[in-house]
Parts: sequence; C-alpha cells; structure tokens
Amino acid sequence: MRDTIQQPGARSPAVPPRGGSQRRSPFGRDGQRTSEERLPQLVSALAGGALLTLGLQRGRLGGVAMALAGGGLLFRGTRTEQEPYVRRHGVVVRKFRRQRGRDATVELTVLQRSITIQGTPEALHRRWLDAETLSQVMGHFADVTSPGEGLQHWRVPGVLGKDLEWDAQVVEERPGELLRWQSVGDTALPNEGWVRFRPAPRDWGTEVTLRFVFDPPGGILGEKAVQLLGAVPAALARMALKRFKSLVESGEIPTTRPNPAAREGGYAS
Amino acid sequence: MRALCWNGINDLGVETVGDPRIVNPHDVILQVRMSTTCGSDLHFIDGDIPTMRKGDVIGHEFMGTVVEKGPAVKKVQVGDRVVVPSFICCGSCWYCQHDLWSLCDNTNPQGELQEPLFGAQTAGIYGYTHAFGGYAGAHAQFVRVPHADNDCFRVPEGVTDEQALFLSDAVPTGYMGAEFCDIQPGQTVAVWGCGGVGLMAQKAAFLLGAERVIGIDRLPERLKLAREKVGAETLSYEEVDSVQDVLKELTGGRGPDACIDAVGMEAHGTGVGYAYERAKQALHLQTDRGQALRQAILACRKGGILSVLGVYGFMDAFPMGALMNKGLTVRAAQQHGQKYLPRLLEHVVKGELDPSFLATHRFSLEDAPKGYELFKKKQDGCVRAVFLPN
Ligand SMILES: NC(=O)c1ccc[n+]([C@@H]2O[C@H](COP(=O)([O-])OP(=O)(O)OC[C@H]3O[C@@H](n4cnc5c(N)ncnc54)[C@H](O)[C@@H]3O)[C@@H](O)[C@H]2O)c1
Ligand SMILES: [Zn+2]
Ligand SMILES: [Zn+2]
Repeated sequence: MRDTIQQPGARSPAVPPRGGSQRRSPFGRDGQRTSEERLPQLVSALAGGALLTLGLQRGRLGGVAMALAGGGLLFRGTRTEQEPYVRRHGVVVRKFRRQRGRDATVELTVLQRSITIQGTPEALHRRWLDAETLSQVMGHFADVTSPGEGLQHWRVPGVLGKDLEWDAQVVEERPGELLRWQSVGDTALPNEGWVRFRPAPRDWGTEVTLRFVFDPPGGILGEKAVQLLGAVPAALARMALKRFKSLVESGEIPTTRPNPAAREGGYAS
Repeated sequence: MRALCWNGINDLGVETVGDPRIVNPHDVILQVRMSTTCGSDLHFIDGDIPTMRKGDVIGHEFMGTVVEKGPAVKKVQVGDRVVVPSFICCGSCWYCQHDLWSLCDNTNPQGELQEPLFGAQTAGIYGYTHAFGGYAGAHAQFVRVPHADNDCFRVPEGVTDEQALFLSDAVPTGYMGAEFCDIQPGQTVAVWGCGGVGLMAQKAAFLLGAERVIGIDRLPERLKLAREKVGAETLSYEEVDSVQDVLKELTGGRGPDACIDAVGMEAHGTGVGYAYERAKQALHLQTDRGQALRQAILACRKGGILSVLGVYGFMDAFPMGALMNKGLTVRAAQQHGQKYLPRLLEHVVKGELDPSFLATHRFSLEDAPKGYELFKKKQDGCVRAVFLPN
C-alpha cells in the first residue's frame, strides 16, 4: 500500500501491490508512459480507489485466511456493545484495538456501508434471503451457499491451495427490518454481520445498511492478518451493497468480463 | 475482430481483439455501421485524464445493427438498426427514473475509481477510461451494448446512418446544454466552441426558441458552419481584443442571457493567462485550462445562466466571485441522451434537424488513427471523422 500516494512526476508503480493481481490494474504497467504520469494530482487521488479494486481480487482475503489458518486460532466472540464509537456516530469504517492476553492487542475490524435502493424494505429483505442472492452479491470475494434454513456456508478461495471456510447462522431476523448472522464453530476468521432495511424519504425507496465485523485472533499473527485484511474489508461492504442494488434494480450486476481489448490474448476487463 | 485501441499517450492503433460476447441477460451485440470521434476522446488521448490501459478499445459515439441478443432483451430485435447514447444506463434506478441518465447508479463496474475525485459514481461509458467503467468502445466491428431495451433507439426509415450517428452524443449533449438555458422568447445565447457539441448546442438553442445565438471559436471553417448551417452569428476570439466587450456591445451592454461552454479542459487561449497555464502543464502542475469557462462567467449577464458541457477535472483561478456576485445559475452534466433521443429523432424525421453536416471526413476502421490525427489537429476543416468499421 505504500505506493498509494505518488510524488508529482513519479511513475506508476512498476510492481503491483502485494496480493493484487497483475491483470486488473487500471494503470498501464507496460514500461511506457501512461496518462497518469501527466497529472500526478489526479493519480494520487485515483490511486486510492484503484488499489481498492486491486485489493478485491479473489484470493487476497484467501491470503489472509492462510495466515490465520496456519496459526490454528479460535474464535473468541464478538460483541457489538464493544463498539461505542460505532454506536454513537454510526461510523462507517473503524478499527478497534483490543487487548488479547497479556501483551497482545489486535484490531477488531468493523465496516459499515449504506446504500439507497428502489423498492420496499419488505421486498428487499425477501430478495436478500433468496438463495441465489448472497452468492451473487458476495461473488467478488466468497462463494456463499445455503445448506439449510437460516444457515450459510461461506468459502473464500485460497491462494495456497487451501480455502477458508466457515458456517454462519442467522441469529436474529425481523422481516422488513433486519437480518443478523454469526459464524459458528471453529473458524480462522471469526466474523458476524447484519443487514438492515429502513424506508427512505420520498420516492427514494429503502436505505440498506450492511455491517461486517471481523474479529481476528490475538498475537503477532492476528496483527499481521489485520494489516493484510486492510484494503479488502473497507471495500467489501460497499461492493456487496452495490452489487445487491444493481441486481435488485436492474436485474444484473454490471461487469466488463470478458471485454475485448488488445492485451492478454484479446480479452481483458 | 478489428478495433481502434489506445496504446499510450498520443498513440492509437488498429488491433485484432476478441469479439464481444453477450455477458449479461440484457445485452445485445451490435455490428457497428458508423462511429465517430468526439472532443472528449482528446482528453485521454492527450493523457489529461487517467485510468486508460494499453490496449483499451475506444469510441463512444456510434450506431449499428443488432446481430445477437441476450435472453432478457424484449423490445430490441436482431436486425434492428439502432443508435445508442454514449452513456450506459439501466433505466430503473432513481436517477434513470428522473431523467438524469448519465448519473445512473448501476452501470459502472469500476465506479470506486471515481469516488476520490467526484465523491460519487457516474454511469459507465463505452470506450472511455476505467474510471467510467472500462467498457470496450465502439470504434470496432462489433460492440456489446448492455441494457439494450433501454439504451437502443430504433432509427426510423428515411433517417440516414449519418443523421442517426450524431444523435448518440454530440446532438443530445448540445440539446441538453440549450435546455439548461431555460430560453425565453427574445433571449440571446452565446456558445463557446463550434465543434460538434457547440454547433449542436447552437442549433438546439434556436429549436428551443432563442432569438439570437452567437457562436465563438477561432477556426474559420467552423465559424462558417455556425453561420451557414445553424444560422448563428459568429465571433472569432482571436480577432477581437475582448470577447466580453464584443458580447456586451452585441447585447445592449447587458451580456448574453445564457452562456454555454462547449470547449472544456483543452481550451485554447491567447495572452498571459494561456502562457501561464501552458507552463504549468509543462511542469506537471497542470490543472485544466479554462479560458472559455472563465470568459463565459464574466460575459454572462447578471442573473443569467451558465451551462457547462465541456469536460473538466480540476481548475484553478475559477472566478467564483463573479459567479456569486452576479447571481448566476450554473447547470452542468454529462449528457442525458436517453431523455432526448425520442424527440431528437422526431426533429430529424420532420426535417427540423440534420446533424449530418458534422461528418466532414470518412475513413475505414484501418485508417482511424489518421482520422483522429486530423480531428485532433483540426486539419483540413475536420469537425468529426466518421469511421465505417464493416
Ligand atoms: N457533457 C457531455 O456529455 C459531453 C459530451 C460530448 C463532449 N463533451 C465535451 O464538450 C467539449 C467539446 O466537444 P467537441 O466534440 O465539440 O470538441 P472539439 O474539439 O471538436 O471542439 C472544441 C472547439 O472549441 C474551440 N475552442 C478552443 N478554445 C476555445 C476558446 N477559448 N473559446 C472558444 N472556443 C474554443 C476549438 O477551436 C474547437 O473548435 C469537450 O470538452 C468535450 O469533452 C461533453
Ligand atoms: Zn462524447
Ligand atoms: Zn440507472
């Protein structure tokens, strides 16, 4: 991530940021001048966004997962009451340091995003519960299946040949209002989340809020994992909501894959 | 297929790329009959706006024949001859529902690239940077058109390909800019820029009831088109000491009731200000050159309307004081083509509008780089270079 801010006149990063894929960078890296070099102010502003995109590669979270899984660490529980800042300000993205054992602190990663979608809270809630919806909406980082009523199975494809998986269970449901789930059992990446539906003013439809809380285990490994997790979760909630919105409103999720281009064998997104 | 690609700054080439495929259920594939250059392309060709990648297929102003359709496409049929607005729009989000099409929420898969700059995301465009979606463009034999039922407009018989072509971008942009001016009988509208967009803004100002329209540019052949094809009065900014003074004199000392900027960030200028901005550009301290926009703000009458069609990123020395103290109303947008297409087609059918005079040059796709060269350098009287990819 150290390449995020470029000095005026600096070249675009020649090496993709760690965990990012070469394929999806919107920045030219073919050893020739790119338009960004001409307008450094724009570059640094845009790079933040670009790296978010890069960070969303499947497998990135998988890398985190591997780091965590290697430690064989266990879920220690997450309580929303421990998020006073979130409570008070309805904060969007925030990390909380917390003590884990005598000399270990980790950060609890809370991310929350809201979006406004055409449709009633009830209709959107029903759509969220639709078996296909979650897998499509989370498709940018995880495969989600529903093995049974109120159950979800999440699988984040790994990079080292191993996937990160967990089961989640719906723990609270208020039709047209709220759905909350929690990972259950032993998992390397304990987490919970909820989605909330509230009527928006006038003809705007419904305000949908999605929250994820990742609660990595303590110790140096946990610290590392959180660092790695960095870019992904910040965009995760927003991307998921954006995909949900497009699916509900327009009947499809926008994509450019496969997209004709004169690179990578004729197609590139 | 063959396609015109961006290979780097001021480096366009015709390459062999994969054929587009139906990806989403509302897609169609169009065989492109005609496509054309736009002043907006110059921004990324020159490297003034970022997020292009080597090998991107460019082009966003086009029309063609539907050759394949996705399972959810209902209205559009294979074989239809259609014109497609340059912005990709879903038709169902709040913005589309309120005729603010270029602000569509659901068609930019890389919209997060825009957030740091705009604080929001716009619709996607064909062949126009990754920040605007990264969709393959239309200077190609085929192009994928998402949300076809919403974005394809059937071209009526009797309307030629060339007449329909410019309804994709230049005409609706100009029309929107004139509509922004809220023109009342007896009013005067001044338009900076006599390119495709400016000429169409002038034409639309007349269609919407302006009494006088004044076109401003420096290229004699374009000023001539404004006079002869549109009926505007013209003003060459290189031949007068002060555009502002002349406009005031032409309007009894008041200034035009509305001013339209159809120039944008590549404004050319004269004098000290221009030299300063060129120097900044050379030192990589560039912000947009804004001579036309600044002039429009100063020339506009008190309480008038400033309509901004030219494309901008950042600009310094923006005369906020003039804007504020004169109580101007600013209206700006990327074009909401889907709003205007039906009425524009009607104008063409009725013979009230014929934008085909913009097509000053025609090329095969293989010669498209030559076409862009002419268009960029405004050589040989080129207003729009039209490509015939098939
Ligand atoms: N809002 C939209 O949706 C939309 C759509 C298309 C194009 N555009 C923008 O509109 C602008 C014009 O597009 P175009 O295709 O007509 O471009 P163009 O390059 O063909 O025309 C621009 C014209 O402006 C003239 N010009 C330059 N500096 C001037 C000045 N200081 N005063 C007066 N005239 C000046 C040039 O001589 C030229 O004739 C561009 O910025 C383009 O990006 C916006
Ligand atoms: Zn354009
Ligand atoms: Zn829309």
